[in-house]
Amino acid sequence: MPNRFLAQVGQTALVLFFVSVASFVFLKLAPGDPVSLMLGSDYNKDSYDRLFTELGLDRPWMVQYTTWLGNFVTGDWGRSFVSNEDIFRLAVMQALPVTLCLAAYAMVLALLVGIPAGVLSALKRDTWMDLCATGVAVFGNAFPSFYLGIVLIWVFGVGLGWFPTLGFVAPWEDPLEGLWYLTLPAITLAAWYIGLIARVTRASLLDVLGHSYILAARARGEGATRVVWVHAMRNVLMPLTTTLGLQLGGMLRGAVMTEVVFALPGLGMMITAATLNREYTVVQAGVMLSGLLFVLVNLMVDQLYTWLDPRLRRLA
Amino acid sequence: MPMATRRSALAEGWSAVWAQRSARWGMGIVLAYVLAALFAPWLATHDPVHQAVEASMQPPSAAHWLGTDSFGQDIYSRLLYGARLALAIGFGSVLLGMVAGVALGLLAGLAGGRTEWAIMRVVDGLLAFPELILAMAFLAVLGPGVDNLVYALALSFVGPFARTVRSDVLQVRAQPYVEAARLMGVPMREIVVRHVLLNVAPGIVVQAGIRVSIAILLESGLSFLGVGVAPPTPDWGLMIAEGRAFITMAPWIAGIPGVALAILLVALNLLADGLRDALDPRSGEAR
Amino acid sequence: MDHPAVAEEDVPLLSLQAFSLARGKVDVLDNVAFELGRGQTIGLIGESGAGKSTIALAIIGLLRPPEVALRGSIRFDGVELTGLAEAQYRQLRGNRIGLVFQDATAALNPCFTVGAQLAEPLSRHLGLRGNERRQRSIELLESVGIGEAALRLDAFPHELSGGMQQRVMIAMALACDPQLLIADEPTSALDVTIQAQIMELILERVRARSASAIFVLHDLALAAQVCDRVVVLYAGQVVEVAPAGELFAAPRHPYTRALRACSIELGQEQVLAPIPGSVPGLEDLPAGCRFAPRCDRASAQCAQTPPLVSDGIRSVACWHA
Repeated sequence: MPNRFLAQVGQTALVLFFVSVASFVFLKLAPGDPVSLMLGSDYNKDSYDRLFTELGLDRPWMVQYTTWLGNFVTGDWGRSFVSNEDIFRLAVMQALPVTLCLAAYAMVLALLVGIPAGVLSALKRDTWMDLCATGVAVFGNAFPSFYLGIVLIWVFGVGLGWFPTLGFVAPWEDPLEGLWYLTLPAITLAAWYIGLIARVTRASLLDVLGHSYILAARARGEGATRVVWVHAMRNVLMPLTTTLGLQLGGMLRGAVMTEVVFALPGLGMMITAATLNREYTVVQAGVMLSGLLFVLVNLMVDQLYTWLDPRLRRLA
Repeated sequence: MPMATRRSALAEGWSAVWAQRSARWGMGIVLAYVLAALFAPWLATHDPVHQAVEASMQPPSAAHWLGTDSFGQDIYSRLLYGARLALAIGFGSVLLGMVAGVALGLLAGLAGGRTEWAIMRVVDGLLAFPELILAMAFLAVLGPGVDNLVYALALSFVGPFARTVRSDVLQVRAQPYVEAARLMGVPMREIVVRHVLLNVAPGIVVQAGIRVSIAILLESGLSFLGVGVAPPTPDWGLMIAEGRAFITMAPWIAGIPGVALAILLVALNLLADGLRDALDPRSGEAR
Repeated sequence: MDHPAVAEEDVPLLSLQAFSLARGKVDVLDNVAFELGRGQTIGLIGESGAGKSTIALAIIGLLRPPEVALRGSIRFDGVELTGLAEAQYRQLRGNRIGLVFQDATAALNPCFTVGAQLAEPLSRHLGLRGNERRQRSIELLESVGIGEAALRLDAFPHELSGGMQQRVMIAMALACDPQLLIADEPTSALDVTIQAQIMELILERVRARSASAIFVLHDLALAAQVCDRVVVLYAGQVVEVAPAGELFAAPRHPYTRALRACSIELGQEQVLAPIPGSVPGLEDLPAGCRFAPRCDRASAQCAQTPPLVSDGIRSVACWHA
C-alpha cells in the first residue's frame, strides 16, 4: 500500500508541476503587455522601465518561473487590475468555498437520488419503472445545465416562488438560509450526475447480482433487502467511485455554468468574469486552482478506491 | 481477403449499432439536424441576423414561425443557422482534436521509451485541467470567435484521444499476431496500418462519439457565458443567454433554442452509447 | 412438537416427488424423484447441463417462482418446501440446510472479511453476538482445519488460498449444525492434491454430526466412494438410482454404463470410452428416451418415454435394462 500511495503522490506532483508550467506559459502567451496594462494609458519610458525591472521581466524565463512559483506557493498571487483586490483572497478565501459547497451539496443530492433510482431500475429490470429511470437518466445526462438552471428558475423561482432565483448566502454564516439559496443550483448541477449515478449503479448492480457470492449470502439465510443493500452495494461502490472520479471534469463544467446562471460568486463565476474582462492574472489563478483541485480530488478518489477495495488495500 | 474482412467488419459494426433501437432513434434525429443545417439557406424564412426592432419579442406566428427575439430576429431562421454552427464546431473541433490526439497516442504507443514518457506527461498535464477551464483559458488568450472556439475545444480533446489510442496500441502490440508479423519481417509501417490502426479504430470512433456531444455542450455553454462566439452570430448558447432576461415575458426566446439543443444532445448521447455498446463493449459504463 | 418422535424416524429427511422445474418454456428438470434418509449421503451424477446444480438450488430455495415455475413436491423433514413462504424458507437456509459452493473464490464476497461472512448465519439463526460469536467462529474455523483461526477471521477472502477458502465455505455451511448439507462439486475448483483432503473433511464433519448430505458430482468413481446412494441424471431426468457400490459394480442404464466406462480407476489398465455425441439442448429434446440418440442399444421402443422402474433397491429408466 505505501508503494502504491507514494507512486500516486509522485505522479500527482509531476502533474502539478506540468500544471504550474502550463499556467505560467499561459500568462506569457496572454496578449498585451502586463506593464502597460498596470500603468494604464498614461506613462513614460522611465516609469515603464522601472516597473519592467521591478516585475523581473528582464530576467530569464527560468528565473521568472521559479519566482512566480515561489510567490504562488506562498499565497502571493498579485492583485486584480479591476478591483485591486488580493487575488489569493478573491480565489481561495471567497470563490473556492462557494464552489465547494455547491459541488458537495449537489453530490449529496445526486447520490441520494441516483443510487436508489439505479437500484430500483436494476431490481425492476425491463419494467416501466426501469424504462422511466433510464429515460430520466439519459435526459439528465444530456440536458445542458445552464438551460436546466434557467428552466428551474422560471418554474420554481419565478412561477411557484418556492426558492430564491438569484444570489447567495454563505452556508457557513447562515446554514439554513445558505442551503435554501443553494438548493436550485445544486439540483441543476446534480441533475447531470443523477443520470450518471443511476446508470452506473444499475449496470454494476446487475453485474454484481450475477456473482455467486450473492447466491451464497442468500444460502446463508440473508434476506433479499440486506443482500442487495449490503452484500451487493458494497461491491457496486467501487465502479461507482471510478466513474465519479472520471467525471470530475463534468462536475466542474456544470459548476461553472450553474454559478453563472444563478449568479453565485464561485470559482466559475470568477474565471468567467475574468475572461470577459481579459484579466489574465485572475484567469491564471483560476486555471491553476482548478487544475490543482482537479488533480488533488483525483488523488483522493484513487485513495478512496484503494480503501474501498480490500484486494488493493492489503497488497503489500 | 483483407479488403473483404475490412468491409465485413465495418458492416458488422454498422449492423450492431443499427440493431439498437435507441441508437436508431439517435441516428435519425442527428441526421435530421444535419439535413436542417445543410439546407439552412433554403429552409430559413428570414435573414438570421436581420434585426427589426418594431417586430421584437413576437410570439410564434405565421410570419415568424417560432417568434422573434428582443432584436426582432427570426428565431426559426436563427435556429437553423445555429444548428449549422453547433454541428460545424462540434464535429470540427472533435476532428481536429482527434487527429492531434491519435497522432500523439500512436507516436507514444509505438515509440515507447523516453518519447512515450514525455508525450504522456504532456497529455497528463492537458488532462489535469477540466475541459471547460482549458477551453476558457485558451479563449481568454485568443479572444472570442468561431475559429478560436474550435481550436480551444480541440485542445481539450487531445488528451482523451491520445490516452485511448495509446492504451489500445499497447494492447494491440502485445497481441501474438502482431508479434508474429514483426518476426516475419513485415515492416513496422505496414503493421501499424494493417493491424494497429484497424484495431484501435473502434476505440477512436467510440471516443469521438462521446466527445461530439460534449463539444456541442461546451460550445453552447461557452457562448452562453459570453466567451465563445460573438453576437449577433446565430448560436444557440447566445440565443439562450439573450432570452434569459425575458424568460417570464417571452419564454420562447430562450426556450426554443434550449429544447433544440437538449434534443440534439440526447440524440448524440444515444448514438454514442450505441456506438460504445456495439464497438467497445468492454469499456462498459466507465468512460 | 405436533408430530410423534416415531414418525419422524420413518419420514425420510428429504424427498422429491415428480419434481419439475421450468425456466420460461424450457423444462430444466422433469419428473425428478428421490429420497434421502437421515444420516445418509446421496450423490447426484451427470454431465454438465443435466440439472444437478439446479436441484441443489431448488432444494435450498434459491430457484423459486417467479423466476422459475415449479411442479411436484420437495419435502424436507415433513414440511413441503415448494409453497413455503420466503420468511420461513430463510429460517432453513444456512440453518437447517447448508450449501457448499463449487468455487469458493467466487462464493466469498471479496469486500467482507471471512469473520464478517461467517458471523452472518451465527447471528441470524443462533442469535450469537459479540465475543460469544467470535469464539464460535474460531471453533468453526478450527474444526475445518484452519490454523491461526483468530487471525484468519480478520482476513479478506483473497488473502487465503483456494483450499483455505473452500474450508471457510464449509465452516459457513456447517455453522448452524444443519441437518442437510448440500455440496455442489465442492472440489472441482481446487488443485488435485487437496481435493481428497477437502472431500474427506466434508464427509468427516457430516458424519460427526450424523447429518445427511447431497453431493453434486460428475465423477462416478468419486460418488461410489463417498455416497450411500447415487442418482444419475441425464438432460433433467433421473435415469438410474441405486446404492453406490452396486451402481458402480453393475450399472444398468446404458448412460450409467457409459459414464462408468469413462471413469478412471487407479492401478487398472482400461480403455476409456468417450460417450458419442453430446447432451441435447433443453430446447429441442428428443421425444421418448432422451439418451436414445447417443445410445448403442436404442430401438424403436425408445421413442416412448421409459418409466423409472424400481425393484425395491434400485430403479432404472430404460426399456432395455
